[in-house]
Amino acid sequence: MSLAFKQETFRDDYTFRNSPEAIRRFPFPFPEDQYMYSVNIEPHTPGPKGAVTEFTLDVDEHYVAECRDKAITLEQDPGRCASLPHMMDAEWDFLEFTMESLARDYPEQFSLSKNGKEWTWVNRPLGLEQSFVFGDAATLPMGPFEYMGRQVQGDFVLLDQREDTLFADAGIVTSQADWSLAFNVGMSWHEWHGPVPQVTKLGVMDRALKFLMSLQQGNPVRRLNWTMTINPRLDTSPENYPLWGGDRNKVNAQNAGELAHLRVELQTLFRMPRSNAIVFSIRCYLISMEEMATYPRWAKRFHRVLRDLHPDLVEYKGITKYQQAVVAWLSRFDDGADIGIGTQPE
Amino acid sequence: MSQLQVKVAAIDDVSAGVRHFTLVDAHGGELPAFSGGSHIVVTMPAPGRTYRNAYSLLSSPENRAHYEIAVHRQPQSRGGSIYMHEQVKVGSVLDISYPVNLFALSRVAKHHLLIAGGIGITPFMAQIHDLERLGGDYSLHYGFRSREHAAFADALKARVSQRAVCYDESLGQRMDFDALLRAQPLGTHVYACGPQGMVEALVSTARALGWPEHHIHSEQFLAPPVGEPFTLKLSKSELEITVQGDMSMLEAMEAAGVDAPSLCRGGACGRCELEVLGTDGELQHHDHYLSDADKASGRKIMPCVSRAKCGYLELNL
Amino acid sequence: MERGYWIRSKPVYTALLWNTKATAHAVLAAGEGGLAVVKLFQQALPEQGITVFYSPAGASKDYLPALQAAAGADLQVFETTAALLEAWTRYLASARMGLRIYSAGTEKFMWEVTDAAEAFGILNNDVMKELTGSLARSVYCVHCKSLTHEVTSNIATCSGCGRHLFVRDHFSRRMGAYMGLMVDAENPGEVPEIEEIYP
Repeated sequence: MSLAFKQETFRDDYTFRNSPEAIRRFPFPFPEDQYMYSVNIEPHTPGPKGAVTEFTLDVDEHYVAECRDKAITLEQDPGRCASLPHMMDAEWDFLEFTMESLARDYPEQFSLSKNGKEWTWVNRPLGLEQSFVFGDAATLPMGPFEYMGRQVQGDFVLLDQREDTLFADAGIVTSQADWSLAFNVGMSWHEWHGPVPQVTKLGVMDRALKFLMSLQQGNPVRRLNWTMTINPRLDTSPENYPLWGGDRNKVNAQNAGELAHLRVELQTLFRMPRSNAIVFSIRCYLISMEEMATYPRWAKRFHRVLRDLHPDLVEYKGITKYQQAVVAWLSRFDDGADIGIGTQPE
Repeated sequence: MSQLQVKVAAIDDVSAGVRHFTLVDAHGGELPAFSGGSHIVVTMPAPGRTYRNAYSLLSSPENRAHYEIAVHRQPQSRGGSIYMHEQVKVGSVLDISYPVNLFALSRVAKHHLLIAGGIGITPFMAQIHDLERLGGDYSLHYGFRSREHAAFADALKARVSQRAVCYDESLGQRMDFDALLRAQPLGTHVYACGPQGMVEALVSTARALGWPEHHIHSEQFLAPPVGEPFTLKLSKSELEITVQGDMSMLEAMEAAGVDAPSLCRGGACGRCELEVLGTDGELQHHDHYLSDADKASGRKIMPCVSRAKCGYLELNL
Repeated sequence: MERGYWIRSKPVYTALLWNTKATAHAVLAAGEGGLAVVKLFQQALPEQGITVFYSPAGASKDYLPALQAAAGADLQVFETTAALLEAWTRYLASARMGLRIYSAGTEKFMWEVTDAAEAFGILNNDVMKELTGSLARSVYCVHCKSLTHEVTSNIATCSGCGRHLFVRDHFSRRMGAYMGLMVDAENPGEVPEIEEIYP
């Protein structure tokens, strides 16, 4: 896939737009007319050519603009990147993993050369070249986790496995859907998943934890999660809630097409070698209702999912204020026809 | 599940009944790095049946050129270790799992107390590399029947002399678990690996002295015990399989082509747990994972090590 | 905002009970926590040595006579919780594995006791906690990152930035505080009724 990196913003004037190719490859998450929270984990095996799951880590046309947005958020709030002292092995594992993945899968954009422990990393889209000694933090301009966390799209959390659970002991979180790293860093699995509705009844969290505890090297897994955002804003953090919260009031049945966005998170989990930690990657994809309607099948599907969504989920996902406006905007595409199972655009 | 292929590069006998194997990547590349305490599951394609046994990696976790394992020959077993001793030669190619760690060092421990018995020394050898690299505070206590049974003792003493204490049973030297545990400062984690009796004694002493559960770590590779044959019915797969006396339920299912989940294959991790739908006999639990209540309920079983004395056992798979 | 589900991060506190498998016991209490300690000593005592650290600051009654009768020479009394925590840290430095730890007092006090112990490798679930006295909460403002203490209502005024914060049940053990999120971000000035629900 040829990558033409866009210049666009995810704040202020919100110039972010998806090209037709980006719309077509969007990871639409709804195979059925009804949605209920589930574990829905599957092996992270290479997807079809051009799909967001084709490679280990996905780099797309928004790469440069997203890295820029991430840098702005980190400058304004350094607390969005945190790593507890015992996580240094995991940080180096993460650096090795991200550099090797990007260099292998996007050789035109990235390269990594090694001479024993002396490595050289080149990131052409961001114009970076760095020689350093693997394992020696003094030879990098910042910690290994932050260094590469800034150069890959999406958020990352490093999970330490101990005491029969997983701990979120490091994170770089600038595009999250409404949770705070500064508050959550150091929490165990059940603690940080505390505020998710309905799940205690279903035991979903217990089963997911048990599964992840046996995650193996060489056998990563993935799942999709989704929510909605008004304006193509990446930084929908609790920290900046005063900046973006009010946008929910601006949506009506006429402008919902432009303002309302479906936000899909591709979550992938990888077991790391030296630290035995798990890398949790949360990669965010945004699409406006207008862009989604390029494919009427998607518009019909999402119309039904949103209209019939369980009230607890509506509230938890912050959709309450504009749910009806978006449903109204989408309704014109829905003739009630049976469109069958599956997430395909057509 | 993705696997690795390795070739045996060297074999040597290091002590009575213990054979040391050096494994390299079969395609000439680098092997994955791992964390100390990890093991690999080696697939042994014997005629008529496939063995799969877990062996701790004892080599340096940073060394990606080769892996090292040590196999203790167990005469009264299903035959996996005998296969390793008799059938595997220099040049043999084997399928192995990626390294899996169910016996990891705690990254928040202030001190690490390592207790090894006999062949149980193997995971600690890799962990010591990690501890030295990280500057961790640790001490190793290594008990064995006699110098003949002390695989790697000399190499260890040379490497970590001040931090290792050896106990030669034939000279009357014995570890005093009570005294050892009472002397540990706050924030110590204890790790035990070795014969079942030793590990159980260490764990129960630590509990009696008030050590919190998460400060106590142990690894025992339980070999699935042999028993009498019975019929295994799998309700969802609609299959009936004969479980022979000398193979585990898990092995019987795998031989029949069933995709049964598993991980440690030694009754410790919980991954293979299955629901029991019915039986005309009694369950024989040999695992360390299920609670007493779960075992008594008769509704769950760990097929990697447990069996049943029955005509048939039906599982929900 | 919290309707329809229960937040598992919220710690659940219990009544103090002796754990008989131990090599030593340390009991730490402040204010109303003194009563919890008196109750603890009414149970059959364990065989191992016990040390009690108590600060009366904030107590509604004088528990000292009862505590002295119960713990005798094993009782150490401190004027302030700061002094108590200092002594606790010194004790921890020479303590051995097998020490069982019991705390009683406000949430803030108990997490300070736990914090001091964590520096020595103790896991936070291994400090037994009995909540006594006030249910007042410490609140972490995600916007300006300050902590506001002694919050007894569902909506707090941030001591750092002045915003009105909804006090969630989502709790951070590391901070010993609940998350506070601006309550009127979407509709500035529309603050719901303030209710004293953590007296």
